Amino acid sequence: MADIFEKCVNWKDADLAKLAGHYAYYRVIQETDGTEVLIDGKRVIMACSNNYLGLANDPRVKEAAAEASRKWGASTCGSRVLNGTTELHDELDHKLAEYLGREAAVTYSTGFGTNVGVLSSLILRKDTIFADRMVHASLVEGIQAALGDCKRFRHNNMDDLERLLASADPESGKLIVVDGMYSMEGDLANLPKIVELKEKYGARLFVDDAHGFGVLGEGGRGSGEHFGLHDQVDLQMLTFSKSLASIGGCIAGPKEVINWLKHKSRPLVFSASMTPGAAAAALKSLEIIKAEPERRARLWDISERFHRELRGMGFDTSPSVTPVVPVVIGDQTLCLAFWRRLTDAGMFASPVVKPAVEKELVRTVYTATHTDAQIDRSLEIFQRCGREMGIIPYKRPSTRVEVKMARPGCNGFYSSAEDGITAISVERSPVKGSLGVGEVLQQAGRPLGERISDAMEIVTWRALNAGPEDVKRLAELPSTLWQQRRRLRTKLMGAGVKLLQRRQAGARSAERE
Amino acid sequence: MVQPVVTEHPAAAGQSARPDPEVEVVSVQSGLEKDAFIRLQWQINKGDRNWVPPLLMERHEFLDPAKNPFFKHSEVGLYLARRGGEPVGRIAAVNDRNFNAFHGSKAAYFGLYESVNDPGVAAALFNAAKAWARWRGLDSMIGPMNLSTNYDCGLLVDGFDTPPYLLMPHNPYYYADLFGACGLKKSKDLYAFERTAAEPPPEKFASIAEKVRKREGLLVRPVNLKDFEGEVTRLKAVYNAAWEKNWGFVPMTDAEFDKLARDLKQIVAPGLCLVAEAHGEPVAFSLTVPDFNQALKHVDGRLTTFGLPLGLAKLVYYSRKIDRVRLMALGVIERYRKRGIDAVLVVETIRRAQELGYRGGEISWTLEDNHLINRAIEACGCVRHKTYRIFETPVE
Repeated sequence: MADIFEKCVNWKDADLAKLAGHYAYYRVIQETDGTEVLIDGKRVIMACSNNYLGLANDPRVKEAAAEASRKWGASTCGSRVLNGTTELHDELDHKLAEYLGREAAVTYSTGFGTNVGVLSSLILRKDTIFADRMVHASLVEGIQAALGDCKRFRHNNMDDLERLLASADPESGKLIVVDGMYSMEGDLANLPKIVELKEKYGARLFVDDAHGFGVLGEGGRGSGEHFGLHDQVDLQMLTFSKSLASIGGCIAGPKEVINWLKHKSRPLVFSASMTPGAAAAALKSLEIIKAEPERRARLWDISERFHRELRGMGFDTSPSVTPVVPVVIGDQTLCLAFWRRLTDAGMFASPVVKPAVEKELVRTVYTATHTDAQIDRSLEIFQRCGREMGIIPYKRPSTRVEVKMARPGCNGFYSSAEDGITAISVERSPVKGSLGVGEVLQQAGRPLGERISDAMEIVTWRALNAGPEDVKRLAELPSTLWQQRRRLRTKLMGAGVKLLQRRQAGARSAERE
Repeated sequence: MVQPVVTEHPAAAGQSARPDPEVEVVSVQSGLEKDAFIRLQWQINKGDRNWVPPLLMERHEFLDPAKNPFFKHSEVGLYLARRGGEPVGRIAAVNDRNFNAFHGSKAAYFGLYESVNDPGVAAALFNAAKAWARWRGLDSMIGPMNLSTNYDCGLLVDGFDTPPYLLMPHNPYYYADLFGACGLKKSKDLYAFERTAAEPPPEKFASIAEKVRKREGLLVRPVNLKDFEGEVTRLKAVYNAAWEKNWGFVPMTDAEFDKLARDLKQIVAPGLCLVAEAHGEPVAFSLTVPDFNQALKHVDGRLTTFGLPLGLAKLVYYSRKIDRVRLMALGVIERYRKRGIDAVLVVETIRRAQELGYRGGEISWTLEDNHLINRAIEACGCVRHKTYRIFETPVE
């Protein structure tokens, strides 16, 4: 009988990473002021929080949270439906709806719960979701919980989306689900085209603006406002743990939909509401966002400078157009080693590896409260570490692709990849690999006779050039095989399974034809 | 294929080439890509009857970082240019750390160059190689080096009408034009001298050599293949000391020297590798090997055909018919230079080769400005028959 815990006992990836000194997660922060943190007794520059506007450490926000806790208690100890809705929660719902210009809004206790709750309760059988491949994990969770069908289109590929929309059942209800701003690569959803398609096929549009709110658009209302398409977004989702410096989530849209969610969405009905402190902090932050647009301007200024300088050094940062500046590494070990080097040099950035992203990267985000001196120091650290690790050349490249930023007012582009900019990886390429018999035999495109003849050539060459060590190894082969018989069996079984799969796939494609 | 004898190329002064946007240059990583990289040589040189195909597997081993000790101290990037999926060119970029440390320079090599006659392809390849070098903070590029001066190097610019000797390059005639169009300038010419007649060295020259030998009290003896390990150790020291001041020289690492010695041991003719000893110390040596290219020419790079060792059989058969030799290295340590010891070794080599039944040979390569040795070689009846050129370009 299989033990359910067995897989956990056998899972050693994290332990191995720890052994190698490359374990980057669950770091304990001892002290923080928002721009610098104390880790392992060392002050490092914080470059991976989502505290975009630096409000989490603003004295006014802290005071509001403390005051609310004193007045309303540490927790509501109940869900919104029953005893968890205080005046604060109600005020927050209304203020957000008003600021976003939506009919109604409702707040959840986390952003993750919001996404799960909305999709799982809104999508019934016969409804279809069209989601970008790169949407946030919470949306993926919601999609899995939803009863309806889901189709994923290639990241920001509008032809793919249109193909899927056209092939779907015209009678079913359709919801297009995208992130307004993609949190890892820093590009935006191509809303102009999505809105066009949504209208053509009669679909509704859900935008997760967790990262866009407070950052994008003239008033910080998110990606819809940035593209001048705020009213075309049917459902807008926010979290409070980014620009709003608190914790919680919010969904805003037509009042009938919000009313439905208030009664049907399980994460809302069955989890305790935000703590009064969190609600008050979000309220205060919203007030400050409205009153102090200069914070947003500062955020754009420093991230543009940082991004431009990184590109000037030769880092690959495409396709970001937002304050999220990813440094694309493209190799897991190198990425973690680079992160380690950065940490030792005094930077707290986050390494992001597959499957969260397609190409491994180190993600950096600065907040509006970082000083110029801190940016200078970060740049110096990045340049030094990048050169030492061979990620950038010692000589600054003579040309670079201009950085584009989706600042308020420059309505239009959504990703620097739209210009056809691709990462140039010609520079980094040590020669590896030698030709093996197996490889030669597996080339599907060449006639079998040629392949066998090449394999024979290799074998002949090896036999002729065999030194005394090779002969010794050959003599040891039987005992080695005996020692490794278990692995051999696994390998053989693996090969058998592969063969079966290939056969089945072949049969399937034959059927289709 | 037309093979005009050209030394100066008008295109070198003409307009510069621009990379063809339809050509994509990809870096070679896997074994199969490397296979395509190597096989391109066949595609490009197919029509040239003077081209000698190398052994396919030998090339694989040469470019295998696990097998070739050169990769221990050097970094190599291989690039393959494709147009519409078809390979049309290739280039290697090399950062030989030993070379740069030895000369205190920041130079990259390029090498293993092959391409179709199209400046767009050449420019794309050189751009990739330069980008590779720039990335490593190197400021100039010299070549072709396949992959350093310790292996074959230089671009054939004169003497396309005969097949190359062992470990000497051969290439299509249009490469010099392409290099010129890509902004490469001549850095150095290398000369190869040939001696075809099967007659003894000129009387006068031989008598001078004899006098030198008596004066220095030299003992000239062939390398003792039975004490191979010991001889290799002794010669290594002489080799690295003898070439020290030479242009383009880079000391061979122990591993490299051992590998070269092991490879040459398979084809070497006993009695042709000479060591000159003065007072029991080796002071000079010369390395002469039978021109194995004469045998290689018949097998088209393969040891087997349909799995049968036909190529191998042919190699064994034709290697008995080799009638030319190449004197590929001759070195004298610093203190004994300018005393004519080189002449002693050359005369002795010619005499012994003749005794063994060889009908001619090549002495290669020498630097164009090494007048002393060039004049000596010409004096003993050799004619300059091929010119190779090393190019250079800044990496901006």
